[in-house]
Amino acid sequence: MTGDDEAAAPASGPLLDPAAFARVPGQVDTGDHGAHARGIFDVELLDRCISCGFCLPVCPTYALDKDEQSSPRGRITLMRALESGRLEPDDPVLQHEASYCLGCRACETVCPAGVEYGPMLEQWRDHQWRAGHGPRLARWLRWAVERRAMLRLSGLVRRFARTRGPVSDASPHVMLGCAERALFPSVSRAAVSLVPGADAPAEQGCCGALHAHNGDSAGGRAMAERLGQDLPGTIVTTSGGCAAHVAEHLGRDRVAEISDYLTRTGWAPAGRLMTTGADGKPRPVRVSLQDSCHLRNGLGVSGQPRELLERIAEYVEAPSAASCCGAAGSYSMLRPRDSKRVLAPKLDEIEQLGVDYVVAVNPGCLLQLKQGLLARRSRVKAVHLVELLIRAA
Amino acid sequence: MALSVKAPTELRLPVPGDGPRAAVRGSDSVRRMDAPGWGMVDDGVVARLRAIVGAEHVKVDDGAVAAFARDATPLYAARPDVVVLPGSTEEVAAVMRLATSERLPVVPRGAGSNLSAATLADAGGIVVVLTRLDRIVEVDGDELLAVVQTGVTTSALASAAAARGLLYVPDPGSKTVSTVGGNVATCAGGLRGLKYGVTRNYVLGLEAVLATGEVVRTGGRLWKDVAGYDLTRLLTGSEGTLAVITEVTVALVPMPPATGTGVAYFASLADAGRAVARIIADGVVPATLEFLDRKCINAVEDFAGLGLDRDAGALLLFGDDGASDLVEQNLSRMARSCEKEGATGVTMAREVAESEALLAARRCALPALARLAPVTVLEDVGVPRPRIAEMVDRIDAIAARHGVTVATFGHAGDGNLHPTAVLDPADEDAAARTKAVIGDIFDAAIELGGTITGEHGVGAAKLPWLPARLGAEQMALLSRIKTAFDPAGVLNPGKTGSVFEPGDDGEVGR
Repeated sequence: MTGDDEAAAPASGPLLDPAAFARVPGQVDTGDHGAHARGIFDVELLDRCISCGFCLPVCPTYALDKDEQSSPRGRITLMRALESGRLEPDDPVLQHEASYCLGCRACETVCPAGVEYGPMLEQWRDHQWRAGHGPRLARWLRWAVERRAMLRLSGLVRRFARTRGPVSDASPHVMLGCAERALFPSVSRAAVSLVPGADAPAEQGCCGALHAHNGDSAGGRAMAERLGQDLPGTIVTTSGGCAAHVAEHLGRDRVAEISDYLTRTGWAPAGRLMTTGADGKPRPVRVSLQDSCHLRNGLGVSGQPRELLERIAEYVEAPSAASCCGAAGSYSMLRPRDSKRVLAPKLDEIEQLGVDYVVAVNPGCLLQLKQGLLARRSRVKAVHLVELLIRAA
Repeated sequence: MALSVKAPTELRLPVPGDGPRAAVRGSDSVRRMDAPGWGMVDDGVVARLRAIVGAEHVKVDDGAVAAFARDATPLYAARPDVVVLPGSTEEVAAVMRLATSERLPVVPRGAGSNLSAATLADAGGIVVVLTRLDRIVEVDGDELLAVVQTGVTTSALASAAAARGLLYVPDPGSKTVSTVGGNVATCAGGLRGLKYGVTRNYVLGLEAVLATGEVVRTGGRLWKDVAGYDLTRLLTGSEGTLAVITEVTVALVPMPPATGTGVAYFASLADAGRAVARIIADGVVPATLEFLDRKCINAVEDFAGLGLDRDAGALLLFGDDGASDLVEQNLSRMARSCEKEGATGVTMAREVAESEALLAARRCALPALARLAPVTVLEDVGVPRPRIAEMVDRIDAIAARHGVTVATFGHAGDGNLHPTAVLDPADEDAAARTKAVIGDIFDAAIELGGTITGEHGVGAAKLPWLPARLGAEQMALLSRIKTAFDPAGVLNPGKTGSVFEPGDDGEVGR
């Protein structure tokens, strides 16, 4: 680092004395490790990365481009340069990478140092997409899901689930979701049928995950807390992404993703799903699963949906089931081209498995898979887990 | 010779003139190097690079080059001026011709997972990223070899070999991310050193681009071949200072049908050290022989809760592979050898799942230590096998003297130790003390007849200590070899082989 660079960079914090590692006096550069100047990031999170690079092979965008810049380690290097002041706040590469990242958090599962990438990405986007800087569409989406009356009224048209029978605060509360109740109302109807005594009040808002992942983590937190008041007790959700967000703010014990809930409460099917084979004889339905990234990587729920599917059908594991499908919340709308690049190899794989259904546990993934398979005129159908379970109940 | 280079305060850059390069922003938005002797990465050079590899594979933006400022080495970073991602050997050759004619530093880079700042662009210039060269050319089960492009990951090669019932032996800890080219460039090691050797033992041939742009093919598909100097071995471990490796032919072995693992606890590392000697004296050359010291055992137990014996002074993990009856026999023999040397407890795993559980103790060592503090400095020294316990004692004494937390684990079979310092950010001069610890550890290793690096490489991080290991005559010879390969000195400057001069205070710099 030269004198020029030092002048440009604000004074760094006293974490480590970089000069101690200088090989040539004056030539000091720790890659902004430990430099805390702008207060954009929780620096304890930022410091934890040891830059080993173990995250590279599991990152979907690194797999596409083989480019350090589009890897979790590269992005953390960029975040450090932003925090230290070495890069301008509106540097085009920072802008690009903050939105190119899917936020799937697969990197966290292989990180030896326990880096929490998810919260750092939220802080990064809070800054990068601050007022007037983020994608316009993201702002519009945030606005839309805040309209509680609109969400409630969508029930008139889309017939999402209603509470049946007597309920109390102690009843499990089914979360309707913002997008899901309008897009896939049959999902919440199936969920309420599967959860005995469930309450599904129409007066509930969006959980705020969309805010948190799109540059407004404070708004996301407030919405999760409001949802916690709307839905007392256990919140049962059919959306892996919402489950992880709500658990982060209300606590893990307040939230049960539906497969987690059903396995814990010992749900048993009436029988196995059968279909007619090419030879005209009955055969078990063959299914595969697409994990929800935040459910798997954020909450550690991955065995439960598989366990349920094995009880009702012939289960086939897709080799890339655990990696992101490209939906990534609002990513498929904000970056449709990249979203399709991530999805394409997965659809090739699904079509080669010889399954009847590919099962999703999150509405975003469901929509992504449905649209992708439809565009290919594939014989494979995408369904939500509960839509299959209800048929076997 | 008695060289002591503890504090590399007076180092010279490997270029005419003194001091670091002056990196300034040019009006053309490309940073320039004004250091005497080096050419300049200006618009013309960038345009020529774009013509060679395609515009989308050349990066000059501030943010884009910032992402390539570092590898896996803590506390070392330097931004290149331009990053290129060539897609073929011919493109690499064209980039090298341009670099030599314009005298621009070139740093070849695979996945950037090395731990010695070997891919640090500390003279700026061009970083050549080889990850796009990721084709597995062939796996030949009859010839027992594979040919891969340089950017194929070690795991991808191992999987391709396994699909044919074959084993690619070298298994560095970073195998899921590291590239085969990078493994060859650093002569990566792993857990199988004693019985099977390291990367150099499995490289049959290389395709490499010289600094001047010629493409050479060394070795080939032959196990016996003494035609000329062994350039394959010379390039293996040369850390990108002599040539850019673009394709590798590796030897494979049949997949061993069975593996087995056991764990023994000892009251002290000295006991474990004697057990290692006893195992080998009793006639077993184990595939696995790893140790953890008490601090590692406790860190792993805190992290993973595997039920390890926290009171033990050392844990020895032993294992073998081969025909199942032989594996069984060797495991029993190793367990007896440990008991003879006073093991306080021995656990055997004969099933794969049990083996995995035992191996987890070793695999978690780094993650467990990395969670103790924000900065983890993973070091790498080697001593003759019988002196491991003595070396660990010395490491503990050095760490205590400087007030730094250092835990040690490593490969007991081949004498390769990984003292790992964890730095507490609240500690003001932790970095300075850690550096002093590292210097003292290197001195101790050399005193015991060992080395400053067993498998991580020299890179920029350890170059100051290289003269102490090799002596002035060898250092000079390395420079002459370097000059023969790279007359303009453009390949990975500031690393092994770069011109060195005695410093003002009589110490040897580089």
